[in-house]
Amino acid sequence: MSALGKYSRSVSIIGVGCTPFMYTVDNPETDGLTEGEMFGYAALTAMEDAGVNPRDVDFYFHGQASPLNGSNYLTPNVQIANWFGMKGKGSIHHSEACCTGYLAIEQAVNAVASGKYNCVLTGAVEFGDSTPSPADNIETPKHPYKRDKMTMDKFLRTTSWLYDRTYTRSLMAGQELIYDDAAEWYVRTRGITAEQMNDTINWMCINNRRNASVNPLAIERKTYEELAKEQGMTLDEYMNSPFNPRMGDFLRAGGVELKCDGAAACIVCATEEIGRIAKNLKHKPIEVLAIGSAACEATTPHFEVRATEEAVRQAYEATGLTGDDLDLFYANDFIITSHLISAEIAGYLPYGEGWKYICEGRTAWDGDKPINTNGGRTSFGHAHAASGLADMYEACRQMWGECGEHQVKKLPKTTMLRGYGGAQNVAAVLIRTLDK
Amino acid sequence: MSIKLEKVVQKFYESLDEGKMMGRKCSACGNVEFPPVYACNKCGNYETEWYEISGKAKVHSIVLPAALSSKPEYKKLGKYAYGEVELEEGTRLNAVIRGISKKNRAELTAKLPVDCHASIFEREGGFKTVVFDLDE
Ligand SMILES: [Zn+2]
Repeated sequence: MSALGKYSRSVSIIGVGCTPFMYTVDNPETDGLTEGEMFGYAALTAMEDAGVNPRDVDFYFHGQASPLNGSNYLTPNVQIANWFGMKGKGSIHHSEACCTGYLAIEQAVNAVASGKYNCVLTGAVEFGDSTPSPADNIETPKHPYKRDKMTMDKFLRTTSWLYDRTYTRSLMAGQELIYDDAAEWYVRTRGITAEQMNDTINWMCINNRRNASVNPLAIERKTYEELAKEQGMTLDEYMNSPFNPRMGDFLRAGGVELKCDGAAACIVCATEEIGRIAKNLKHKPIEVLAIGSAACEATTPHFEVRATEEAVRQAYEATGLTGDDLDLFYANDFIITSHLISAEIAGYLPYGEGWKYICEGRTAWDGDKPINTNGGRTSFGHAHAASGLADMYEACRQMWGECGEHQVKKLPKTTMLRGYGGAQNVAAVLIRTLDK
Repeated sequence: MSIKLEKVVQKFYESLDEGKMMGRKCSACGNVEFPPVYACNKCGNYETEWYEISGKAKVHSIVLPAALSSKPEYKKLGKYAYGEVELEEGTRLNAVIRGISKKNRAELTAKLPVDCHASIFEREGGFKTVVFDLDE
């Protein structure tokens, strides 16, 4: 078990950028968008938001879960620096699959806290819904900008790359337990019924969608209330109908990610250098207090639970904070039960009671315990590597009071983001607005 | 001390062909790694030695397969579930457990942990793997 040391100097997030999450090939206006354009938009809007010039940014981190499949690149960072004024600057690419965007913060903060750089960009881009054309296989020559929709069959074949080839795939269990293990664990350890878990899963979908319905960047904005009404059903009937079919032992279709395309980025700066570097600073800096990390390969029983417990423990021990100090919580919920179990493990919701808060709508954006105010992976969308930074974009804007129609009731000061992905990395990112 | 560059994975699969389920036992603390790897994840000892597991085990959790969590090939397993399995040697891993279905799930869940034992199962692709069967 690792213990976190103190950062050598304070590091803050000072600007954020994010594209809408979308199915680019489905819309003539976005069909043909490329990596440089998507990442470049997120990077430049983050720089503008921070009030820094690209020449003031020393280095950048580039996240993409699956660059070979999604972009036909091995070194995606190198190909696009010139799109946002950082030609010739050093950079590195990393992938932790769906956890990439959270560990993107970890990478950037470490680089600045060490004293090596004063100001870095950390960004991510993903085309989760399409691959370069032709989509036959990764070896054939590709068109400069045309893309083909990614079939579910191809997606599932490439997601097998997330799992250990030597043992896990052969044993047949780890990669299949991702869908329902957390639900089973919660039901068994908290002593609730399968019906109560079914309701809780449905309410997480309903709350996520309500949040997305007031977020212009979200991919799916029609509420479940509206969808039910269109079918002449009550909300409860709709959520338990073939419109939301059972896909797992507990999981229903609405509780699975909407894989899509998107990019997001943050500007991370040494707190002591902000005055010098960010000449047009717009907001209060948001300090990164600690980032706990753990990873459990998928043959490890209850990998998500175990890794989340460890990452959260590290972050709390390093800061002395507890779940009671959190005002806002994000969970990478591409399997929606993540939302419940990580909020409870982090102490944001009380042990064994979290499911009730969810079913009472208290975790929606206008509730007293908001979670995933952007809509989460099932309604905001999941552009795999970019999702963590999109959550950070939303978290910072909530903490700056800039979310307009979906601004949470009490201005949040302290937030945790629980990253998860890549079978399975977990990060517990703790951030707090600095008092001027 | 001698850290060896050796083919652990190949030996694991070749042993299954011979009907043996091999893990690795830590020479310092006795922890058994299954499936087998080089080092001990309990005490950090660099070395482990080949060790044939007894196959006796317990099931601690039960998740039934569904549309998202099954593949056509798995039909060959008959009735089965996924779950946390604890070997007699103390090692815990995610595994397939045969003999569990919608019918007996509730009864078994109420009795957890329940006894099971390891079996060798032939996969498509020309190799064998390890699954578990409920003791009856
Ligand atoms: Zn040992």
